[in-house]
Formats: sequence, C-alpha cells, structure tokens
Amino acid sequence: MSMLASYLTLAAVLFCIGLYGVLTKRNAVVVLLSIELMLNAVNLNLIAFSRYGIAPSLKGQVFALFSMTVAAAEAAVGIAVLIALYRNRATVNVDEFDELRR
Amino acid sequence: MLTFNVDWSGEFFAFFLLAVCAIAGAVLAVNFTKVVHTALSMAFTFVSLAGLFILLRAEFVAFVQVLLYVGAVTILMIFGIMMTKHQDEGKEAGRPLQETLAAIGCLCLFGILFYAIRSAGFPAPADPLPGDNTMAIGKELYTGYAIPFELVSVLLTVAFVGAVALAKREEAEES
Amino acid sequence: MATVFSQYAWLVPAFPLAAFAVLTAMGRQQNRTGGWIATIASLASFVVALLILIERMSGNADDYNGSFDWLRVGGTQLTAGYEVTNLTSLMMAIVTFVSLLVNLYSIGYMKGDDRAAVFFAYVSLFVSSMLGLTLSDNLLIMYVCWELVGVCSFLLIGFWFQKPEARAAAKKAFIVTRIGDLGLLIAILLLFWYMPGHALDFSSLHNVFGTQSGLISTSLTTLIALLIFLGAAGKSGQFPLHVWLPDAMEGPTPISALIHAATMVAAGVFLVVRTFDIFAAAPAAMDTVAIVGAFTAIFAATIGLAQNDIKRVLAFSTVSQLGYMMLALGVGSTTAAMFHLFTHAFFKALLFLAAGSVIHAVHTQDIREMGGLGRRMKTTAWTFGIGALALSGIPPLSGFWSKDAILGAALDDRPWLFVVGAVAAFFTALYMARLFLLVFAGKPRGSAEAYAHAKESPAVMTVPLVVLAVLAVAAGFVMTPFQDWLGPWLSGGGEKEDANGVAIVVSIVVSLLGIGLGWLIYGGRGAVRPDVVSSRLPWLARLLERKYYVDELYDLLFVKSLGRLGQGLRFFDEVVVDGAVRLAGSAVSALGRANTRLQNGQVQTYGLVAIIAAVILVLAIAGRRFW
Repeated sequence: MSMLASYLTLAAVLFCIGLYGVLTKRNAVVVLLSIELMLNAVNLNLIAFSRYGIAPSLKGQVFALFSMTVAAAEAAVGIAVLIALYRNRATVNVDEFDELRR
Repeated sequence: MLTFNVDWSGEFFAFFLLAVCAIAGAVLAVNFTKVVHTALSMAFTFVSLAGLFILLRAEFVAFVQVLLYVGAVTILMIFGIMMTKHQDEGKEAGRPLQETLAAIGCLCLFGILFYAIRSAGFPAPADPLPGDNTMAIGKELYTGYAIPFELVSVLLTVAFVGAVALAKREEAEES
Repeated sequence: MATVFSQYAWLVPAFPLAAFAVLTAMGRQQNRTGGWIATIASLASFVVALLILIERMSGNADDYNGSFDWLRVGGTQLTAGYEVTNLTSLMMAIVTFVSLLVNLYSIGYMKGDDRAAVFFAYVSLFVSSMLGLTLSDNLLIMYVCWELVGVCSFLLIGFWFQKPEARAAAKKAFIVTRIGDLGLLIAILLLFWYMPGHALDFSSLHNVFGTQSGLISTSLTTLIALLIFLGAAGKSGQFPLHVWLPDAMEGPTPISALIHAATMVAAGVFLVVRTFDIFAAAPAAMDTVAIVGAFTAIFAATIGLAQNDIKRVLAFSTVSQLGYMMLALGVGSTTAAMFHLFTHAFFKALLFLAAGSVIHAVHTQDIREMGGLGRRMKTTAWTFGIGALALSGIPPLSGFWSKDAILGAALDDRPWLFVVGAVAAFFTALYMARLFLLVFAGKPRGSAEAYAHAKESPAVMTVPLVVLAVLAVAAGFVMTPFQDWLGPWLSGGGEKEDANGVAIVVSIVVSLLGIGLGWLIYGGRGAVRPDVVSSRLPWLARLLERKYYVDELYDLLFVKSLGRLGQGLRFFDEVVVDGAVRLAGSAVSALGRANTRLQNGQVQTYGLVAIIAAVILVLAIAGRRFW
C-alpha cells in the first residue's frame, strides 16, 4: 500500500467523521466545525495528490490554498448567520431551525 | 484481506503518528458533549493535519493551515460559542434513529471510498515534488492564478462585509 | 294553389310555446288569468291550423316545406324544419281543437288550485311539443318533440305530486315510455347510419323506402320498422307497454282527455303513419303491428269489462281503440287509422271531459258509488251517452264509420283479424253500456249526501262537452263508404276504401249485441244478474279485474329482479369499488403521512436522506460490476 493510498484513506476517514458530525450534532457550532473538518479532509487529498500523484505539481497546493480561503469565508458567514439566528430564536439547536418546513 | 505491506520508514512512522492524532482528535470532537471541548479537540486535529502537510512537503500550506484554521476559524468558533451562551450544554437528547442511520450511511460511504482507493492502481509518481516550494507557490499564485486570486480576495471582502451586516442588522432593528 | 297560410304553420306550435313562456315567467300570480292566456293561445293556434286545413282542403295544394340548416358537422348536414301536408294539417287541427276545448274546460276544472298557472303552462308546453312533433319534417326534430311530450306527460300525470299514486304513475309512465323511446332512438340512429346522405327527413325516407329502391336490405328495414313500432307502442300504450296508460289516470282529468285524445297516445299512431313507407317495405313488421294491435284491442277491451274506476274503463278503452288503429296500420290502411284517430279524438275527449264533469260533481271515481246521475246532470249524461254510442260503433255516429273502415280493411287483408276486431267491438259496446248505465241510470248507490250535492258543472265545462258531442256525431261523415274523400285526400289519391257490406253488417250487429247484453245485465230489469260471470267463473272476473296480472308480472319480472340486481351491484359498489377507492386513498394518505415525517424541516434529515440515497445510487451503479 503506497503512501498515497494511506493518505487518501486517512482523508476518507476524516471526511466520514465530519459527515457524521454534520448529520448528527445538534449544536450549530459543532456542525460548522464538522464542515471545516470535511473541507480539511479534501485539502489533505489535494495535497497528497500534488505530491504523490501521477504528475506531481504545485497546482494541488494552490487549490488547497483557495479552498482554505473559501472555507474561512464560509466559517465567518456561518458564524454571523448563527449569531443572527440566535438573536431571533434564542437557541443554536439545529433541530429547532425548521423554517424549511413552513 | 488488507495487507499492510508498507516499509516502516521514518516518514511512514511520522504519518502513522499524525494520522492517529488527527483521527483521535476528530473522533473526540464528535463525541465531546461540551462545545468548547469539541472546538479544542478539532483544533488538535487541524494541527495534526498541518503536520501531515509538512510531511507532504507543503510547508506553506501547513503554515496557512495553522494560521487560518487553528488561529482564525477555531477562535471564531469559540467566539461564536461565547456569544451564543449555551445553557443547554450537556443535556443532548439523543436521536437514536438519526444517529444510527447517519452512522450506517457514513460507514457505507467510507466503505465505498475505501474500496475505490484500494482497487484503484496508482502508478508511482515520475518525480516526487521537491520540498521548500513557498517561493514557487508565490510565483504560481501571482502569475498563473492571478485572476482566481483576485476573485478570492473579492470573495473574502464580500464575506467579511456580509458577516458584519448579518451580525449587526438585528441590533439596528432592536434599537 | 298558393300556400298562403301553410307558410305560417310554424305559428301553430309557437302560440302555446309563447303561452308556456309567459305563464312560466309570470309564476303563480297568474292563477286566475293563466287559464285564459293558455286558452287564447290555443285558440290562436286553432284558428291558424283551421285556416291551413281549409286551404289544403279547398284544392290540391302543394306540400309546403320550410326548413333550414341546423347543424353541419363535417360533411354531415342536419336540417330542421316544418312540413305541411294534408296529414299534418289534419293532425294539427285535431290537436289544436282538442287542446282548445281542454284548456277551456280546465278553467272550470282547475279553479281554485294553487298551481293552476303551472298546470296551464305544462299544458301549453305539452300542446306545443305535440304540434312540433306533428309539423316536423324529419325524424330528429320529431324525436326531440317526442321526448318533450314524454316529459310533459310526466309532469302532468304527476301534477298532484302530493299523492303517492300520482308520483308512482308519473314515474311509471316516464319509464315505460322510455323503453319505447329507446327503440325509436335506435331506429333513428340506424336510419342515420344507413340512409344515403344521412338524411332523416320524411321525403327522403319516402324516396328510399317507398320506391323499392333496395338501398336498405329487407331485414334491416324490418328491424328499423320494429324499433319504430316499439317507440310507437310505448307512446300509444300498445301491449306489452300499455301498463302506464291506465295508471296515468292519476293526473287531472283534462290531462287524461288531452293525453288520450290528442297529444300523447296519438303521437305513436302518427309516428307509424308518418314513417309508413318503412313499414310498407317490411311485411314482417306489418304483421307484427297488425297482430299486436289486434291483440291489444281485444286484451284491453276485456279488461275494461271488469274495472270499477270510471277513468280506468275509459283508459282501457283508449288502449283498445289504439289497438284498432295499429290494426288498421298493420293491414295497410293509414287512412282508416288516421280516420279512427280523428273520430276517436273527439269522442274520447268528450268521454273524458264528461267523466271529469261527473267526478267534479260527486268527488269519486268509483262507478259502484254512482248511479242515477242522469237526472242530476242532464247535459253531461246526454253528451256522455253520445260519446259512448260513438265509441260503441252505432251508426250514424262517427265511431261507427271509422271502426267500420278498419274492420273493412282487416276483412280485405286477413279475415281472422277481422274476427278479433269484431269481438273486441262487441266487448267495447258491452263495457260502454255497463259504464253508462252504472253511472247515469238506476238508483244512486253512493251516499245520499254526495248525490244531493251533485249538480251540473258550470258552462265553461259543459260547452266543450256539447261542442265535442256535435263533432262526435258529425265527424264520421267525412269518410263514409258512400261518400269518401278523406282517403284520397290523405293519401294523395289512389287508395279507395271499398264499402264492404259484410263488415258494415257485422259491425252493427256486434255493437247492438254488446249494448243489448249490457242493457240486460245492468239495465236494472234484472234479466241477467250482474254477477253472472263472477259467480260462475270467479277466476275469470278476478283475472280481468287484475288486468291479467300484467302489472304483477312486470313487477316480478323486471322491478323485483332489477331491484335485486341493483342491490347486488350496490353491494358490489360499496364493498369492492368503494373498498378499492378507499384503499387507494388510504394508501396514498398513509404514504403521505410517512413522507411528512421526512419533510420535517430539519436540514440534517435531508442531508441524511441525500447521503443514504447517494450510497444506494453508487452501490446500484457500481454494483453492477459484480453481477
């Protein structure tokens, strides 16, 4: 088993843990953190490919950088939405946010 | 059967150690009931990932990872936790059906991914990437990726302004 | 010869229709004046119809046909219009005349009824649709009017819908005639299908069937003719569809007169006369018509012997006389049939109106409770007597001539039908003698109080009686064996009724025999006791009184069995069909309830579903590799 496969497996493990967190956690902050974990797993994939892929290049790292930037923006906006929601509903429990039903 | 026919080189040992740290941090983060613990545990995972990035000869990315995730995102989350005071911490009423199904779904997904990784033949790389490539990344960003770079800066600005607007507007209405 | 008035023939049905519209619009405020509105409208119709009749009698006027395109569907063209021939002009005159008298009479009869205006509105519509039926130049329009007549009869028979018997009778009339109407409708559809150019007008029918063109095969012609006859039998109360007609007596008496004399039952005979070309081309259908007519004539006449309701006796007499007309048609003499229709209209209207006058006076219809009324109600008694004699076929009253024409035609064609007709004529004379003697002669058998209150009806009711009585005497002279112009006039020349001495003699003899026997039994002399038959042969009397158990048979055969079938189907509907529907509905709603649990607004649930679905999708797509 090559290093690449090991890295990819690790990324898959992290991705699935993050997904599980997104799907089950009720605290919105934890959900946001789990999303960050999933994004990080993707970044790990990108960088692993940039090193051990068929044609190693820096492009993978550049992509990872962009992805991180977007993730940072997402985290900021997510927290802002969370705070706004908290002001309105006095809770951060995701199972009480069921506006989609109405 | 899985056959871990790997050579126990120093690199792999380091990888193994860091991977265990990352997975442990992630698992703990999901399992902690207190949100602050979760955030800290997640930060641990992010640091481990930064270590893995160094192993992968992506020092700049690792640096950004520490700066952005461990520094900014985690702190942001902790701020979020503080601003939405958690009186209902700890009494997490379980949703057994949801959790079971989510676990099954995630395991299946992992199984599929693992099968795909195992069955895909990755040829050995022609020439592994050399280390210490921060300069090269800088050149790449400001030449080949100048336009995406600028777009990302715009995105960040928009996100920043939007976040401020979202968090502030309610206050304006309240007053 | 100019056809001045014929062009305005459309006015004839238009007047009563206008009266109907006015009366319907006015509502019940017109209870007093409604009768006069209807009467004036029918008077106007009668005047126009009379002018047309005179115009046509005075010379060989051409048939006038005013038609227009009604519908054009694809290449098929439907026309609507009216046609004035000698036949229709005569029929119109009869209908308008009888309806005029009935309207006039009803003013007296319906006085004080809450819904008099509605009554006159229905009568006007009834007359109007009958006139439309008469005038129409094709089968389609005729069918429309035919159904309108059916509806009006339903409304009028059930006019006193507070009475359950009236409701039942109205429903019965409607349903039984519908059976016939269905036959007519199928016949029209067949004609529409097979006629060249889909033409349904009578002149085209005449061209196709009357000239032996062979365009339509004999078997098909027979089928069409039989179906048309089914329609005619339904309307004209021929066996086996006669059952509604006696029950229709539940309606107001003027309506009985109208139905029996002019509008409803005449429609069936008129239909056969109008489509006679089809019958003439199908000998088997002719035989059927003749046999059914003859059977109905004798069948109804025997029932008439044992009925105790004054109107029911007259009703069975109508059935019997209509059987005569059908018999005449079956032996090929449209002239005799129309002639009998013509005379019958007068004396039957007379009899019904006189019976109505009697009922109006004594408030009962049971002839066992009457008697001796001749002294109280002279006009009614005299006019009723004239009508009874005319119906019995005593010369020189009108019924004699027309019945003689039919019997003569039957003798020429099939002698055994002549025998049946003569026997029926004997029974006719017998039951009319019985009816007259029981009602007007002898001692009063009802309560003395009712007898004391019985008095002559007002002039508005007796005047029509007198007019009709005069016509019942005189109408026969338009076509006697000695001076016959009606036949050639109606059939456009050619057909000449032979004076048949045997027929005349037999007809007079049987009528006199019938009246004589009636006098012996019911004349009060006690020569023959009234229960001579019922004591010796009680089953026969019972059979006649129960109308041969036809109603009971129908009840058993059709009503009960259909009721069972309906219950079975209803059970099937409720359990199986409804069950299936409910199952489908509850399955869907259960599925919906299950799905609302998914649709709970939780993004996490949506995400979970999406993940599981994606896994299943990947397994399904990638998994194919392993099979």
